[in-house]
Amino acid sequence: MTDLASGCVEALRLLAARDPEVWGIVLRTLIVSGVATLLAMLVGVPLGYLLARTRFPGRTLVLGLVNTGMGMPPVVMGLFVWLMLVRTGPLGGFELIYTVQAMAIAQFLIATPMVVGFTTVSIQALPARLPDLLRVLGASRVRRIWLLAREARLGLLAAVMAGFGAVISEVGASMMVGGNLRGRTRILTTAIVTETSRGETERAIALGLLLLVLAFVVNLFLTRTQQVQR
Amino acid sequence: MKVSIRELEIERERGFRLLVPDLSIEASCATALFGPNGAGKTTLLRAIAGLESGPRGSVLLDGRPAAEVAPRQVAYAFQEAVFFSGSVRRNLALALDLRGVDSAEAARRIADVAQATGTTALLDADARRLSGGEAKRVNLARALALRSPLTLLDEPFAQLDGPLRLRLLDDLPDLLERFTQTALIVTHDLEEAARLASRLVVVIDGEVRAHDEVATLLRQPPDPEVARLLGFVLVEGGGGALAIQPGRLRVGDGPVRVDMTVRRVIDLGHAIEVVGAIGDARVAVVLPRGHQRPAPGETFSVAADEAVRFSK
Repeated sequence: MTDLASGCVEALRLLAARDPEVWGIVLRTLIVSGVATLLAMLVGVPLGYLLARTRFPGRTLVLGLVNTGMGMPPVVMGLFVWLMLVRTGPLGGFELIYTVQAMAIAQFLIATPMVVGFTTVSIQALPARLPDLLRVLGASRVRRIWLLAREARLGLLAAVMAGFGAVISEVGASMMVGGNLRGRTRILTTAIVTETSRGETERAIALGLLLLVLAFVVNLFLTRTQQVQR
Repeated sequence: MKVSIRELEIERERGFRLLVPDLSIEASCATALFGPNGAGKTTLLRAIAGLESGPRGSVLLDGRPAAEVAPRQVAYAFQEAVFFSGSVRRNLALALDLRGVDSAEAARRIADVAQATGTTALLDADARRLSGGEAKRVNLARALALRSPLTLLDEPFAQLDGPLRLRLLDDLPDLLERFTQTALIVTHDLEEAARLASRLVVVIDGEVRAHDEVATLLRQPPDPEVARLLGFVLVEGGGGALAIQPGRLRVGDGPVRVDMTVRRVIDLGHAIEVVGAIGDARVAVVLPRGHQRPAPGETFSVAADEAVRFSK
């Protein structure tokens, strides 16, 4: 208990001291997970929309894969991305291994199935005649997708929150493909592992609290968007 | 707006098929698509609205493909009223905005159509929390607000009851006159069809079985099945069938005489009614003052001045 209490004190001290390393880690965490979530949205929302609105052979199989992907252990995704990006791997030529880009790619792959899955469900939950109504009214395809997404935004923002929550708290994949290099690829989760193993429990607790606050602030912003009165 | 359908063929699940070799629906009047539930009326309406993907054949509106014309010039009120979240006003405004109506004109049209349909008090209500009857009226108002040359209404009176239904039945012809040129109304209710439309397209089992003026069809239905659907009582025998409009039946003598089986005799206060059956059709006639009351189970002779004869 004293560890936790002193951890809190240490956390406040770290923030007050404006430790550049800590702020670097916070910023890096936010950028990597933010970019990964944004890309997952750009890919996942249209994909989820298509899965919800179209019927094709093998659709159930694809949905099954998406749902499996939602529960995929991040470390397995990390292993897959590592195998792809490692110098001797098929994409080794891009020299992305142990960079923040590699981490963003791994996190993007972790978040995408979540965004696709939640999007599919929330679009399917809309009244069946709504798309027909938009077609009769002459809405362009882009406008149709936009209006339906707006209508389904409770579910879509839940999708984004689930995706962001998964990647910001993820440690295995980022560790494997990022390498936890100090000042370059170290993020909050991997830093917590490092500090704990070095016996710097107070610093680890401080970083853990920072991670919680960060996740809370981002989700609070998303929740406000989700719950706003129209 | 004239609707021309040629060689239309739409297949649906469970073996249902809509086949319309040739159908032209006149412009500038109201036509009812009439038939039993599941006959294909809604499928036909959807094809006219360009909503049926890849049907065989052609659906032309004023000579151009429906899928091309409908998104700009057809208004469609679905049987199930669906709305976007937000107020009724927002839903009407969205529909007008999608049709390229500027916001000042849209505001005028919304106020106008709301007044005409009696929905002014609902404009600021949450569209998804309306009662069934309110939703139906708003659904109609949204279609009318578009002032499209062709307006399609699918069962506009389903879920409406009592005085509200009667009032809307009285109002709708004037509303259609005011807000559209050509109206197509799907209904399975003969009274609605007769009150709202001047022409009737009878659809049975995915086929158009009759298309004519309402008055003409009611005077001379083309075959016994259409006659039955139009409410005629059918009497088999004599190498053919006889179709009589139930309203024309009376107690007494006349050129056409048929027997009914009495089920009940009801005293309504102002009149005594004999309820019974001819074949499987229910009939009711008013007993003239002083006439002897028949007993349930008895055969009772009734008459009509005219009937339609079908020979086999």
